[in-house]
Amino acid sequence: MVVAFILAIINAMLIQNVVLYRFYGICPFLGVSKKSNEALSMGLAVIFVIVIASAICWPIYHYILVPANIAFMDTITYILVIASLVQLIEMFLKKYSPSLYASLGVYLPLITTNCAVLGVAQGNTDTNLTFGMSMANAIGTSVGFLIIIFAFSCIRVRLEASNVPKCLKGIPIALITAALMSLAFVGFTGLIK
Amino acid sequence: MLPILWAFIVLAGLGLLFGFGLAIANKIFYVKEDNRIEEVAKMLPNANCGSCGYAGCKGFAAAIVKGEAGNLSKCRPGKLETTYNPILEYLKDHPNDDGTPVNIKI
Repeated sequence: MVVAFILAIINAMLIQNVVLYRFYGICPFLGVSKKSNEALSMGLAVIFVIVIASAICWPIYHYILVPANIAFMDTITYILVIASLVQLIEMFLKKYSPSLYASLGVYLPLITTNCAVLGVAQGNTDTNLTFGMSMANAIGTSVGFLIIIFAFSCIRVRLEASNVPKCLKGIPIALITAALMSLAFVGFTGLIK
Repeated sequence: MLPILWAFIVLAGLGLLFGFGLAIANKIFYVKEDNRIEEVAKMLPNANCGSCGYAGCKGFAAAIVKGEAGNLSKCRPGKLETTYNPILEYLKDHPNDDGTPVNIKI
């Protein structure tokens, strides 16, 4: 059981990485990766939202929506949960870290429609995972997001200082870098049999 | 019971629940914002030169509204006609909450 839990985390974190393998959550990945500390706090905010949202959405789906025969309402219910959580984290940051609040800018409320968040909640119930497994999926996915956005921001900081051909400066070289990272992550396929 | 009724009850219930939760959170995490800071910052040159000794024009605007800045002329790029007078005028019309005027000179 514990082994399966850890394997599920590693699977979601590295092998089926949320950004580089499933292409979820590209928007903050490109938008908030210019500075490492901003990327780190974005990753932490996403971890908070994904884990709590999955922990709330799973019981709502299995103990309210399914018994009441309205499983078709799943998406709008999840969006309600996610939007409330993002609102909460926005209030929290505004109070305790106004500078971070200002630097994350519009990308903070955009977590609401971050497809990584909805994708995890939806995927957990669509594939009929147990509660433990869906938590493993949520933790693995969100930690995977944090690792990737942080690594990417570290590369981008160095790209700023390096001599990039003029036509590739800025976003083009960032996209090429993301593509190379995605290629590198293919190497994890087959890590778990 | 009809599923549509359940759908209505569940969504309305969840919405109410989260709404109440957020209302309580708003009370806990409440930050008092002074609209005047924003307005004064708009009237400053917004060069963010730092010659006033504060962190950017927004910092200076916050200090002006709090009455800690003392003199508007700390803002070097500012002009009497286009910067100082409009701000003085604005603050004269918008005193502090308790009615006392904002402590500021040119």
